[in-house]
Amino acid sequence: MNWETVIGIEIHAELKTKSKIFCSCPTDFGGDVNKQTCPICLGLPGSLPTLNKEVVNLAIKAGLALNCKINNVSKMDRKNYFYADLPKAYQISQYDHPICTGGYVDIEVEGEKKRIRINRIHIEEDPGKLIHLQEEPYTLVDYNRSGVPLIEIVTEADLRSPLEAVQYVRAIKSILEYENISDCRMEEGSLRCDGNISIRKLGDARLNTKVELKNINSFKELQKALEKEERRQQELYEFNEGFKIVQETRRWDSAKGRTISMRKKEDAHDYRYFAEPDMPLIVLEQQMIRNIEETLTELPFDKKARFIESYNLTEKEADILVGEKRLGEYFEQVIEFDLQPKLIANWILGDLMKLLKVQESNVDSIPIKVEDFAELLKIIDNGQISGKIAKDVMDEMFITGRSPAEIIEEKGLKQINQGDVLEKVIEQVLEGNIKSIDDYKSGKEQALTYLMGQVMKETKGQANPVMAKDMIINKIK
Amino acid sequence: MKIDQMTMEDIKSGLERKKFTAQELVAGVYKKIDEVEDKVGAYITLSQDLAIKQAKDIDSAMDRGENVGPLAGMPIAIKDNICTEGIKTTCASKMLHDFIPPYDATVVKKLKDAGAIIIGKTNMDEFAMGSSTENSAFKVTKNPWRLDRVPGGSSGGSAAAVAAGMAFMALGSDTGGSIRQPAAFCGVVGLKPTYGLVSRYGLVAFASSLDQIGPITKSVKDCALTLDVIQGKDPKDATTVDVRNTSSYLREIEKGIEGLKIAIPREFFPGSLDSQISNEIMESMFMLKGLGATIDEISLPITDEGLSAYYIISSAEASSNLGRFDGIKYGYRSENYADIEELILNSRTEGFGIETKRRIMLGTYTLTSGYYDAYYNRAQKVREKIKQQFKEIFSKYDLIISPTSPVLPFPIGEKIGNPLDMYLSDIYTISANLAGIPAISLPCGFCQEGLPIGLQIIGGPFSESKIFRAAYALEQELGLGNGVAVIKEAKK
Amino acid sequence: MKIDKEEVMYIAKLAKLKFSDEDAGELAIEFEGILKHFDSLKETEQDIKDIELEEESNMELREDVVEIFEDSEKLFSNVKDIDRGYVRIPKVID
Repeated sequence: MNWETVIGIEIHAELKTKSKIFCSCPTDFGGDVNKQTCPICLGLPGSLPTLNKEVVNLAIKAGLALNCKINNVSKMDRKNYFYADLPKAYQISQYDHPICTGGYVDIEVEGEKKRIRINRIHIEEDPGKLIHLQEEPYTLVDYNRSGVPLIEIVTEADLRSPLEAVQYVRAIKSILEYENISDCRMEEGSLRCDGNISIRKLGDARLNTKVELKNINSFKELQKALEKEERRQQELYEFNEGFKIVQETRRWDSAKGRTISMRKKEDAHDYRYFAEPDMPLIVLEQQMIRNIEETLTELPFDKKARFIESYNLTEKEADILVGEKRLGEYFEQVIEFDLQPKLIANWILGDLMKLLKVQESNVDSIPIKVEDFAELLKIIDNGQISGKIAKDVMDEMFITGRSPAEIIEEKGLKQINQGDVLEKVIEQVLEGNIKSIDDYKSGKEQALTYLMGQVMKETKGQANPVMAKDMIINKIK
Repeated sequence: MKIDQMTMEDIKSGLERKKFTAQELVAGVYKKIDEVEDKVGAYITLSQDLAIKQAKDIDSAMDRGENVGPLAGMPIAIKDNICTEGIKTTCASKMLHDFIPPYDATVVKKLKDAGAIIIGKTNMDEFAMGSSTENSAFKVTKNPWRLDRVPGGSSGGSAAAVAAGMAFMALGSDTGGSIRQPAAFCGVVGLKPTYGLVSRYGLVAFASSLDQIGPITKSVKDCALTLDVIQGKDPKDATTVDVRNTSSYLREIEKGIEGLKIAIPREFFPGSLDSQISNEIMESMFMLKGLGATIDEISLPITDEGLSAYYIISSAEASSNLGRFDGIKYGYRSENYADIEELILNSRTEGFGIETKRRIMLGTYTLTSGYYDAYYNRAQKVREKIKQQFKEIFSKYDLIISPTSPVLPFPIGEKIGNPLDMYLSDIYTISANLAGIPAISLPCGFCQEGLPIGLQIIGGPFSESKIFRAAYALEQELGLGNGVAVIKEAKK
Repeated sequence: MKIDKEEVMYIAKLAKLKFSDEDAGELAIEFEGILKHFDSLKETEQDIKDIELEEESNMELREDVVEIFEDSEKLFSNVKDIDRGYVRIPKVID
């Protein structure tokens, strides 16, 4: 029996605005408890919402980046339900006239390109945060997050495997980060995703009962949870117990490694949507949408393709450079100094990345100036210093922020390319290492390496390795 | 003239000419309150200390020749569903019996900036749901004209306070007639402004698309004077409109009504209408004609479906607006609960009165997925139809005239057991709320038992100036020009 | 439109209100009365159009500027139970 998995994903992303969606409280993460609140986000009697312009801008930007239709007219609606983290007992969201509809994003799964359709994007407010105490029978409520702006991105049921789902979320994350729409930090909760999954016989047109999965906090968990649920459903169908699959929400328990039914009074979820009477319609001018379109930067998918094509990079190289927006930018800025892309890529992906990791620095603040990096690469290219010395110079540049010329000058690290100087040193080394000469002559290659090592030692690593090697070989002959 | 018989205009000129000080005014008002408040019961909270301090500050400022606002020293009252910082705001509900807002409503801020002095918070039907002020959790307000009659609702306390001389202006709120009907019952002037003219920020919401705050005063000019201060686009209320009104509503108020075209809907005068009411309205009509207006009878068959649509829409919005009252962040918290579910359930069940619960239930019902289309959605369509009908009428006419209430101020306790009966008393007022258009009620006579009768003037959107003109002309002609509603000594 | 007690109880659950059997029965009758009238209108009128969204709005969007509500003490002065700055409630079980 061949089964087909059908998955849809809902992503909630916090928008990168300074103030909340309906009030001017700050959106900063981790503030003092309940200090980022006001009558509006607390839902005090008499308070009224006012819509943040930047929220609309970013939602439009997300829609454009995901190839959606931006609706000229959209409205806010109330979604009514009781929960301790929801101050007004309704969430202001969008129901039947969202700001964006009908888009798509292209993803790559195991070499194959696939287009995932997006059903809609809408804006809404986040509720507060609940902290359930362990020892005491209380829950604590912090309203700092209440009113933080979110966009919700909903796909069509186009995904066919947990891996595809992960690739999709990665793609969205990358795009939202690239366009500065959201920080997309899953650990901090600024990017959350829920999955809807069902299974059917391959070839069937009808969809079977789908199950919603919640409480997924990382890409790994997303894949695991979907795979687990996929297996659960498949087993039930195979044993003719498919009826046991009900439309419900299941919580992913990463500790237990399985999905658990959230039998929460499902009947009490009539949201009684109606148009938010406190907010007029959102009417967008074409000019506004065009202005935002101009602020869109090249999307990661396209950038990667371009890197591979224009700079002859490998898939893997391009992936890493594009993975972090700043890294790709840095790379292209260095290219402007007329250097070989491959050379630049090697040094960025090798030494620079290593330094960033070891020094625990952020890609967003690379301490080596673009001109300095370029200069160093030029110096290496010209043979003025050896590769090994260059690594040391880069270390120094990273820590001190000084230019390569300065450092090389100060430490006298210039590569020795003068034949007469080298010859003197080599002769000295050869005189003191007769045994090694004999070893080499009798076929032991490592003797040459040893001699090279000695020459390097004498010259403090500054001997031009290629020249030195040639000279040694010639002299021994 | 005794202080309690003065209008705002009289007060203003009196203060300017130093006939009395703000402190003397305030003291006078509280003295009146001492005399009659325990019979009338208009107030839930009195803010005497604050008021005295404010009066002192105003007097000092005036002595120094400083520019004090247009309402400097004016003792006013605020309906208890409008947030006043530091002063208890209860909405006449057990649910908010101890709620002290941390902020002022925008209109309160504007009045304070204009120098007005808040005497206290007035009684009302709980959460503004009602037409008699009998739904208050705390007390029943009596009509100052006859203490065994209701003052109307839901702004009954505000209307009674002004009528009894315990305040010179009182703010009310109007969702289905809650300013106009009590104004009619208490023989004072009450205006419901165009939706969006006055900010709702700080008004505890009942039905967000219908609520408006408006002034209740003794005279039409006082009403216009107050509207000048409280109107205006508020960045905190997205539903307010920038009317770019730079001139005062008083500017053209004495212009007269020569040539004004007035329409009277025949459906508003069914056989069941109290004949004393229809007689007074007819007489006023003739007066208006005499003053130069033309009066035409028209057909406006909206009362029936309008009333149903009103109750569905207002209850639906109310059921959502009142969801926030759960005993968690503010308000009444039940003492019996075993868990969070019970805390919310019991706090709401114990904290809300029966009428409030009734409306929440009706509203919730009509919004559920099974009934949304049949009720809420249809009601909105009916509303749209009514809006269009008014638009058509106002393309041919300037104003519409009708009774404010189909009944005279009824005895306390008469209708309270019969909600459907109570709902019917809103029949002439709800359509202005549905259409979002302005309407005023002013006294046009008295019935045999000495109870006031109110006449309603309705205008197109943002036509308050025109409405004031007509109301003022009628008021002067009726000889209620002194705008004084004299409270007869306590009659039983 | 017949409304029965069970339905009223379901609505009460949604609205987080408790009613006695008797009160629920009364409410059912009241609702019927109010809604019956509206139902009768359904049959008569033909000319109510579907509401379309107009392309006009007086919505003014707010600039993305932070404003701190200074006196946060006041904001929470009406809370019955505060613990270390949090609003405290009986434990919520998912």
